[in-house]
Amino acid sequence: MSKAYFNYAGKRLLQAIVVILLSYVFTFVVVSILPGDPITNVLNNPQNGFTPDEIKEIIAAQGLDKPIPVQLWNAFSGFLTGDLGLSMRTNRPVATLIAEVLPSTLVLASAGLAVALLLAAIIAYGTQFLPQRFGQGLLRGFPSLFLSVPNFVIGLVLIHLFGFQLGVFRVIEPDSFWATLFAAIALGIPISAQIAEVLIANLDHESGQDYATVARGRGLSQMRLFVKHLLKPSSLPVITVVALTIGELLGGSLITETVFGRNGLGSLVQRSVSTQDLPVLQAVVSLAAVVFVVVNLIADLTYPLLDPRVKLLGTQQRRPTTADDSSLPISKAVTP
Amino acid sequence: MTLASISSTPRATLVDRLTGLRVPPVVVLSFLVVALAIAWSLAPGLFTGYDPVSGTPAQKLLGPSAAHWFGTDHLGRDLYARIVYGTASSVASALIAVVIGVVVGGIIGLLAGFFGGWVDTVFARLVDVLLAIPKFLLAVIVVTAIGFDTTNAAIATGVSAVALFARVMRSEVIKTRQATFVESSFLLGGSRWHILWRHVLPNASRSVLPLAVLQFGDSILVIASLAFLGYGDPPPASDWGLLISIGKDYLKWPWLVYAPALVTIATVLSVNRISRWLRKTD
Repeated sequence: MSKAYFNYAGKRLLQAIVVILLSYVFTFVVVSILPGDPITNVLNNPQNGFTPDEIKEIIAAQGLDKPIPVQLWNAFSGFLTGDLGLSMRTNRPVATLIAEVLPSTLVLASAGLAVALLLAAIIAYGTQFLPQRFGQGLLRGFPSLFLSVPNFVIGLVLIHLFGFQLGVFRVIEPDSFWATLFAAIALGIPISAQIAEVLIANLDHESGQDYATVARGRGLSQMRLFVKHLLKPSSLPVITVVALTIGELLGGSLITETVFGRNGLGSLVQRSVSTQDLPVLQAVVSLAAVVFVVVNLIADLTYPLLDPRVKLLGTQQRRPTTADDSSLPISKAVTP
Repeated sequence: MTLASISSTPRATLVDRLTGLRVPPVVVLSFLVVALAIAWSLAPGLFTGYDPVSGTPAQKLLGPSAAHWFGTDHLGRDLYARIVYGTASSVASALIAVVIGVVVGGIIGLLAGFFGGWVDTVFARLVDVLLAIPKFLLAVIVVTAIGFDTTNAAIATGVSAVALFARVMRSEVIKTRQATFVESSFLLGGSRWHILWRHVLPNASRSVLPLAVLQFGDSILVIASLAFLGYGDPPPASDWGLLISIGKDYLKWPWLVYAPALVTIATVLSVNRISRWLRKTD
């Protein structure tokens, strides 16, 4: 690859590392400096049954008696060496807690993404084959409808219809195939809307291009035009959009897992929030940021290799007039 | 083929002109829905005679009827009344979230875009961090840190929207800064603040409006999700998300979920439709 690409890749990599480190610090600041002292509140809560001596012990073990910057440094250096600390509630390593529930969330998130991609493809590519007036308008309405429905409502409706009414799956077995599939549908529907919107916008853009007009003039059927000419250029930019939806997949799984009663990362967060188990929250949020940044880094680095139309930022830097966003390597805007 | 395109061209421009002058019926309907939601939140007492907090236990879990439009819940409270009284905190809190997002994000984007240099770099990294943390997780940790109630949930939602507005504002400001009228204002001796206030801000904020409206709908959803998880006001409050959360334990009486869900969806759908219309007419 060209020198411009390596320059760009180096810069993006460095930026990604900085963002990961900063997001750890940011999360730490949010959970530890904001008003209210959740830690002592929880420890002093009689329901948790700690004696004053035990409380002192926990506070010393967690290093909570030290000044905030020292605490930050200890936690931060632990994070860098892969030590995520101890859970305040269970006194077990946070890494173990996360490792226990991670597979369940990975299954749900990847199934959700698969559902989202499939739905988005059906909606967006469907618009190419339906009559302008009726069918297309209907399909084009789907993304904005999907974006207006809270995803816990989708989950509840699926549970009500398929779990209770039709008996396709049993609600008390959340890890069964059908229950997972419906959870994935609930998670995937709002995300499919975002992908579909971008796909539709790209398809509209491409089919208005001169080359599409020429192809139509040569007598190509809509089917051939779509498969041969429109499919690839309109679908490639979706890679960056999919990478951006990773955050939504992780955030959405928090709700979906609660609705379907799955034991995953989301329900771990849910439990840690209600017990104010800050080390766990800190770890999960930082890991989510790491995943988001790494996935987007990969997308940004591979995309210029896949799509030759992309001009790298390095070639544009001489022109300060572009209002390009620094995190997008694409000169064409792909946002809806 | 040719005939059709000839006859359809003037018709298209006529339709365009009409939509330019008149609001399409769907948008009128959307405005009506939003107006109703505002009316519900301002004067809930005008729309229902039932009390949202105390019910008649003998009339619990009744289906929708003329007396109880959306049925009654497990304590015999009129669900319609609960939804109407819950509107204020469900919708007004979304407004708080949008204001925080627009003001804080707008200021960050304005300063970053206008001054550039190290100011831009510092803010760009902050925005990157805010974007790297999944939006909903960010809202959850902020509301955890500041405490569970609906206002705090709204603040948390607003914080999670800051990055979006900062980004859009920044790119709009950079676009405007290079416009000829801004250059000429510089040449005429306008001070930086004068240009920022009189030229850059009004022009850049034009594209922020549709986004703010869109974010309003999104905030309703996020706040409903936070309420659903129990991070909003506790019962007997009747935020829409909380109503759905209570209703999910009574799925045998599905209207307890469907009624507040449909009201939420109708409101958000209307808000999104208005946003789309604003973007088109701009």
